[in-house]
Amino acid sequence: MELYITGTGIVSGAGNSGDDSFLKEVPSYNTDKLLCIEPDYKAYIPAMQLRRMSKAVRIGIGASKMCMEAAGIEKPDAISVGTAMGCLADTEVFLGKMIAQDEQMLTPTAFIQSTHNTVSGQIALLAGCYGHNLTYVQRGHSFEHAVINTQLYLADNPHQQMLVGGIDELTDGSLEALKIGGINRKENSTPTDVLNGNTHGAVAGEGAAFFIMTDAKPATPAVCIKDVYAFTEKDTAVAAQKLTNYINSQSLNIDAVILGQSGDEKSNAFYQSLRSEVFSNTSQYAFKHLCGEYATASAFALGMLTNAIAKCEALPSHCALGNEASVLKNVLIVNHYMHYYSCFVLQIV
Amino acid sequence: MKQAAYIVNTGIITAIGNDTAACLDALLHSRTGVGKAEYLKTHWSEELPVAEVKASNEALAALAVVDAKWPRTAILSAIAVKEALQPLADKLQGLKVGFFSATTVGGMDLTENVYKAFKEDSSQVDFDNIKNHECGAITELVANHFGINDFVTTISTACSSSANSIMMAAQMIGNGMLDVAIAGGADSLSRFTLNGFNTLMILDKQFCQPFDNNRRGLNLGEGAGYLLLMSEKAMQQCGVTATCIVSGYANANDAYHQTASSPDGTGNKLAMGNALKVANLQPADINYINLHGTGTANNDSSEGKAIEVLFDGKVPAASSTKAYTGHTLGAAAGVEAVFSVLSIRHGLVYPNLRWQTQMEDVSFKPATELQQGVAINHVLSNSFGFGGNCSSLVFSKC
Repeated sequence: MELYITGTGIVSGAGNSGDDSFLKEVPSYNTDKLLCIEPDYKAYIPAMQLRRMSKAVRIGIGASKMCMEAAGIEKPDAISVGTAMGCLADTEVFLGKMIAQDEQMLTPTAFIQSTHNTVSGQIALLAGCYGHNLTYVQRGHSFEHAVINTQLYLADNPHQQMLVGGIDELTDGSLEALKIGGINRKENSTPTDVLNGNTHGAVAGEGAAFFIMTDAKPATPAVCIKDVYAFTEKDTAVAAQKLTNYINSQSLNIDAVILGQSGDEKSNAFYQSLRSEVFSNTSQYAFKHLCGEYATASAFALGMLTNAIAKCEALPSHCALGNEASVLKNVLIVNHYMHYYSCFVLQIV
Repeated sequence: MKQAAYIVNTGIITAIGNDTAACLDALLHSRTGVGKAEYLKTHWSEELPVAEVKASNEALAALAVVDAKWPRTAILSAIAVKEALQPLADKLQGLKVGFFSATTVGGMDLTENVYKAFKEDSSQVDFDNIKNHECGAITELVANHFGINDFVTTISTACSSSANSIMMAAQMIGNGMLDVAIAGGADSLSRFTLNGFNTLMILDKQFCQPFDNNRRGLNLGEGAGYLLLMSEKAMQQCGVTATCIVSGYANANDAYHQTASSPDGTGNKLAMGNALKVANLQPADINYINLHGTGTANNDSSEGKAIEVLFDGKVPAASSTKAYTGHTLGAAAGVEAVFSVLSIRHGLVYPNLRWQTQMEDVSFKPATELQQGVAINHVLSNSFGFGGNCSSLVFSKC
């Protein structure tokens, strides 16, 4: 089923979508991690509650409020969230104290906020949303499955507004583990390394990107999710072939593709083969030099497009990997994280 | 028109048994699984009883024929999936098969043993203890072991997690996206969860007494429970029949508090009422309610009141089975889905173990004696949890 996006909210390492200058400037850094540049939450979260929130909850609530504001709604009918790692900071706080204090004299706050559904639960609590509420935790498909759940929910409950998001936070502990696991790069990276490098692992990232999705076509220009294709595959050559077959089966005239190219040597061949064989006549864009590499980064890519369309802007020039698109009608997002692949088929309507 | 999701087989492991037959035998003979922790190494082993699967990771891994270095949750999951899937595994050629799991603890049982050393000097720690920490990694290990890859997902909505995985599986079979699904969840005990629940002061230092006026809290448990669901087409190909279907499901949010239920069970009522609507049933059609019934003051009161309102005082036979299995968190709804299927298949109402005193604020009394040979056509199963997540499932005879 087709989903129309009527609102976007992003908090990321490249800033937040509530800011007029969002994604306008060419990024410049030399770092191993792109941490969220957080907004002033005053407009979104009561100060008393903000103090108690971990970063994951803050960026999740912040992005969801921006998104609802952009869509012009007070509360959604239902909520669907994807997060690979959940509320890691609070998990580590409780874990650290539990070990240091030999399981004694512990307080509940960090534990309460450590559960994977904290963000979706807190959004429901703050908005008074009694509707359907789900949290997916399937690694590099967490956000994709939250979107597929939205298709299932709206098929059963048409004409509702669903809040859908992807969120992950980075901690010192998770960064260390992700570096050892080869997902994130041990050394510092520059934007050029991410766009053109061939490194072991990619610059680490985190962020929250939320959307209002509905099954009814809106009156103003919007991005429509025509389909979501998600699969796992250990062999990058086989993955490239699967994606090629899928894209060819869609028989679309594609104006632009947004690629999860990260400079990681493990995925460069995959992206390169698609770029030269499938997308040779298509404008190509990257996004991970903005948000870094993390499990739900595809939500950022979607947000980059929906934010631009809502503001009647082009995709940022510093994201173009060659010629920029003269029109944006049919757009694909192709992402690779570990052995998780996804492709969003999008149409601007 | 949606296709029915038929329940073809079950797989389960809990403190009361390593498979469906053993768990059923314990339910029929009122054998509890709650006791002293032997395998979970914790400061609280003398003070906080748990419903532990009485076997080491090595012994359990041998049962599942998987690597003993896996997190315990993955090993428990593999045992239950194996039971549900194996009899039909070689008949699924050409069918689209999905795996819908749920967990709250992921690989924490291994992480918590090495976290301190990892933070001090990560090079001193065997990375195998960390690499499967993510909830999704647990599901991936099990999916890969059984070669399932058409659709693989993990849901984590606290104590209601596996109700939601069954709901999604039923939806995807319902609209033809999949032919076969294994759906449920798994959670092992860990010091992290035991201590977390202990700080909330909702753990019973004695054996728990759900729906009793003098209840003191819950006992944590561990285990895994899965349903093997099929479309009619898949059943024909496999040459199997089913006794019941997933007829109703609903997910709602209480939007009241991060860890507590609203006093009148707003989310509970919505979940139960909407699940009945999806099943196209009236409250009077339900023959048995498998209660969430954790044994905490808050849950049982909210759930009880919501049931009284929804059923207009005419409450069918109802019981909590958590006095047997403990609260298995992300596995609970999967475990209780298996018990619901057994209730329909064998005409059973399970006694609510250790019940003594009528609750003051709830007027109905849970079933306290085993009832056999009862006509059970429709079972309602409740699962409510942190984050306000409330889910209800309806299972119906077919």
